[in-house]
Amino acid sequence: MSGGSPPAIELRGVSRWYGNVVAVNDVSFEVGPGVTGLLGPNGAGKSTILHMAAGFLRPSAGDVRILGEPAWRNPGIYRRLGLVPEREAVYGFLTGREFVELAARLHRLPDPAAAAERAIALVDMDAAAGRPCGTYSKGMKQRIKIAAALVHDPQVLILDEPFNGADPRQRLHLMDLFRRMAAEGRAILYSSHILEEVERLADTVLVIVAGRLAASGDYRQIRALMTDRPHAFTVRSSDDRALAARLLAEPAIRGVAFDDGRLEVRADGLLAAARALPAAARAAGVTLYEVRPTDESLESVFAYLVRR
Amino acid sequence: MPGADPRAGAIYDLGYRTYDGPRLGRRAAILALYTFTLRGAFGIGRRTSAKIVPLVVAAFAFIPALIQLGVAALLGSRIEIIAPWNYLGYSEVPVALFCAGVAPDIFGRDLRYRTLSLYFSRALLRSDYAIAKTAAFVTALAVLTLGPLLLLTIGNGLASDDLPGYLADHWREFPQSLAAGLVIAAVAGCGSLAIAAHAPRRAYATVGVAAWFLVTLPLAGILVEIGGEIGRFAAWFSPFDLLYGAALAIFGHTPGADSIQARADLPLFSYLLLAVAHFAAAALLILRRFQRVQA
Amino acid sequence: MNPDIARLTARTLLGQRRTILVVLLALLPVAIALLYRFAAPADADPERFAARALLGGIVTTTILPLVTLIFATGAFGQDIEDGTAVYLLATPVPRRDIVLARFLVAWAASLAALLPAAVAAGLIVLGGSGPGIVAGFAVGIAAGSFVYAAAFTWLSIATSRALVAGLLYVFLWEGTLSGLFSGIRFLSIRQYATGIAGAFFDLPASVFQPRLEPAPAAVLAALAAALMLLLAVRRLQRWEAGEAA
Repeated sequence: MSGGSPPAIELRGVSRWYGNVVAVNDVSFEVGPGVTGLLGPNGAGKSTILHMAAGFLRPSAGDVRILGEPAWRNPGIYRRLGLVPEREAVYGFLTGREFVELAARLHRLPDPAAAAERAIALVDMDAAAGRPCGTYSKGMKQRIKIAAALVHDPQVLILDEPFNGADPRQRLHLMDLFRRMAAEGRAILYSSHILEEVERLADTVLVIVAGRLAASGDYRQIRALMTDRPHAFTVRSSDDRALAARLLAEPAIRGVAFDDGRLEVRADGLLAAARALPAAARAAGVTLYEVRPTDESLESVFAYLVRR
Repeated sequence: MPGADPRAGAIYDLGYRTYDGPRLGRRAAILALYTFTLRGAFGIGRRTSAKIVPLVVAAFAFIPALIQLGVAALLGSRIEIIAPWNYLGYSEVPVALFCAGVAPDIFGRDLRYRTLSLYFSRALLRSDYAIAKTAAFVTALAVLTLGPLLLLTIGNGLASDDLPGYLADHWREFPQSLAAGLVIAAVAGCGSLAIAAHAPRRAYATVGVAAWFLVTLPLAGILVEIGGEIGRFAAWFSPFDLLYGAALAIFGHTPGADSIQARADLPLFSYLLLAVAHFAAAALLILRRFQRVQA
Repeated sequence: MNPDIARLTARTLLGQRRTILVVLLALLPVAIALLYRFAAPADADPERFAARALLGGIVTTTILPLVTLIFATGAFGQDIEDGTAVYLLATPVPRRDIVLARFLVAWAASLAALLPAAVAAGLIVLGGSGPGIVAGFAVGIAAGSFVYAAAFTWLSIATSRALVAGLLYVFLWEGTLSGLFSGIRFLSIRQYATGIAGAFFDLPASVFQPRLEPAPAAVLAALAAALMLLLAVRRLQRWEAGEAA
């Protein structure tokens, strides 16, 4: 992507309130090509943000743009935007194929039938495409909705809780699909309240807590930025106890502990630990075998952000 | 965690306790459900948009009484056009719309969201649930059918120059209004709920209730006009014609010459009997529905 | 107008159980007409009955608005209530085309249910005499359901309680209030329909008297339909995904 092109999704100072309840409070971010996960507990405002990005809610304040164009009251953006809503309902009397083909026709695609077949194959729904949507399971409805959203090959894809109801195999399949689409230069923004889904898929994470953007970026980077929370490492060395005694003399080290025979080190920050550990090892004459961060999972990042 | 083996399972005592104090029991549960439903019927405790329909329609049911009292107050003399005995003739549309707008929500939410099991797993019996909800809706409807009648009788009394004399002449209107208002509310309310309880979606319930009241009204008029000996019985089966006839019977008033009751020429007490039969049939339908419904 | 959305809407309406209800409702005039034919007293005046009680009565005041209301809310309201409207709205199809497609299908469905039954009922009662009455009410019903369909399409987009709002309009505004305040006849679709019907026959005022002249009725009907459709498009352009406020 050239540097001059506008971001796929851009929110600038966006707020949305219902009466005197603020659902989204002064949120700004940009989403570029790749997979971006919108993470937050239920009721944090994820759906409100996605609806605003998809042009189905008017921002009370601020500016929402899709590929440089305003999202609100601009149906033209749907030529380059696909949307998978959270609600399960589909037209129960249409077959899966008819449903996807309807989307293709509404997008005025030159060959709607072929486009529908392609989209159905992408989500692995060929076998069930002839059945009415009303007979589908939750996961199948989810996949046929994704096929309908993909049928016009959009540059930007917005999905509200796309993994709801999908079984583990379908989940892997969808993750794989999103990764492939992202690799083709598309921007994918999806919401989830399940950390594992975001951690395994998203290149970038947007964390929403109580209507505000609590963090954004690569979650490992977010973690590194959280200097007021000690980082913890598990360390294996030639002499754990000698290393522990020496480490306590380093000002950047907050504490050491032995848990189940392993040395746990808590430090002020990633960089501080990176300097202190080798220095202490050298001073104590100990060889470091392994230094492993213990709680770099998104879960711990998230728990931290939510608590703050 | 020092000393704790992280792989060993453990159940932590978080301090939850079972409740072993006194329980209020079935009667309190019924009363709670009744009050909750009654408030909900007028949108109290619900969002503003849920209040609009019931309150606007209820206001329209009172307007004729207010007009009558206003005319009486301004002109001094007692020109009685709108009276308790013929009041239903002026309030039938608001009553029908209240039923069509509110009745579908009385059972509808619980049926659609499958919350019935939450009720039936409590002290409530299935019949308790149906009775509490029905009683609450009939009470709500009585505000529209009985309220204006009481307002009229009290207002007319206060507007008269000679209150004791008025009371001596008109005391009967109190029990009569009470009876008429309650009969109308009971029959219209139970009938609406019987329809709504059997409708699969709110839209069907609304249309069904509206049709029961408002399509039968002109239909009965036509049938009585052209139906001859058999057609005149249609006046028994259009709820408003039936209830207007019942009100005439309660107040001991003869029907106006061009009213459907006069043209059908059926004995007035038969309307009361048919009203009771309608009420019984509707109540049975509601009870049966909740005996059988899968919670 | 978008043929794909029109086809989808037609399938939605045909697939709903409410359509059976509507067909039964629409057939009511035929049943009444048959009853009249076989049971009416000898002194009955067929023209008076057809114009006052049947076509100008129960058909125009009750069945026409109810049938159109059910179809119009079935075409759009259901879609919005279920959340499936998003699949149509998340496309570049102009909002005007979506509204027009749904409105036209609702109108066509109403006509299909109403017109044959009304014409048949009129012919059965009148038996060939007074063809102007049947023709007049056929045109009146067509025009009336056009305006009703436009109004109820707008209501379906504007409120989640379109059905009850429509009932309030039909029975409280057009039924009760217009009897008290005669100025309401200028704002009543029912009066537009009877006014337009009145252009086709000439009955004594004691038998049947429309409350609007045909020309103003037609102009007002056209204006009202255009306004309602404009509002519907405007409202759909600003439609927001339902979230509990």
